[in-house]
Amino acid sequence: MSPLSTEEIVQELNRAFAEEVEAATRYLHLRNAVRGLDRLRVVGVLKEAFRETIEHAEILARKIRSLGHVPKLDICVSCPSEPLSGTEALQQALTFEEAALSCYQDLLKKVEGDVPLEEFIRSQIAIESEHVAQIRELLDE
Amino acid sequence: MDTWKEFEQNVISHSAAHHLMAVDDLVSRLGYARVSDIARQLNITRGSVSISLKPMKEAGLILQDENRHLRLSEKGQRLVNAVKTKRRLIERLLAELLGVSAEQAEIDACKVEHLTSNETARRLVAFFRFVDSHDATVREFLARWRSFEASCGSDPQACPTCVEKCMARDVNES
Repeated sequence: MSPLSTEEIVQELNRAFAEEVEAATRYLHLRNAVRGLDRLRVVGVLKEAFRETIEHAEILARKIRSLGHVPKLDICVSCPSEPLSGTEALQQALTFEEAALSCYQDLLKKVEGDVPLEEFIRSQIAIESEHVAQIRELLDE
Repeated sequence: MDTWKEFEQNVISHSAAHHLMAVDDLVSRLGYARVSDIARQLNITRGSVSISLKPMKEAGLILQDENRHLRLSEKGQRLVNAVKTKRRLIERLLAELLGVSAEQAEIDACKVEHLTSNETARRLVAFFRFVDSHDATVREFLARWRSFEASCGSDPQACPTCVEKCMARDVNES
């Protein structure tokens, strides 16, 4: 596969940035949408996930800036106002975390040969994989 | 029935309609559709696509195989075909008959394609059959319509359409 240009890399990183910022927004909504006894069980998990996702977004933004660009954000999140159980909230979280993970996995294939970038994406994949595994464990999947 | 509540009864939302049409388009072009392809086509995140597809899968509109490739079910395909037909009909009504610019006609048709009832669509088909019949009366009607001066003139109160004030002024660009 021919190497990506800097602009193409930045475009892909912006996509990953959007995934993380959207995920953070969804976590913020989810932790406020969970009702009942489940709140005690999962609100801490969702709060921590929100904090970590914002951190990932910051890391991506720094990477984009290091390539001489300003991060571009183009998201459209709509979260309904229905209350959720803890399980429903975690199932939703699993859906968008898996989507973010697949985004990094596809990006890794595109940056083969660029060692610093490969290392960066691999570390993100490791973090996201852990996120996904944690949620699956909570859902007992 | 309270007409405004009908809005909530629609089978699919605007967003869902576009997701389904994206799947249809990708399968036609590539033979398959993945979440990443849909995300690129709609210019949204994979997370949004995944969240949006879930209720559509549960409703039996979209199927996923073991390779995570997506395609429309028969039910999904029928829905997409109906939406696409309604879009064509409404665009044609707006652009060809009412003289709305092609660009605006496309935008407005996109806004209402998934909201339009099948009854309205059937009547539009019938209407266009009439328009396309090359009947001399139809040709004369269209010619007269295209040359008709639509303003109220100097006296809105004398206008049979507007009565008290000119309706066109209410919908002028501000």
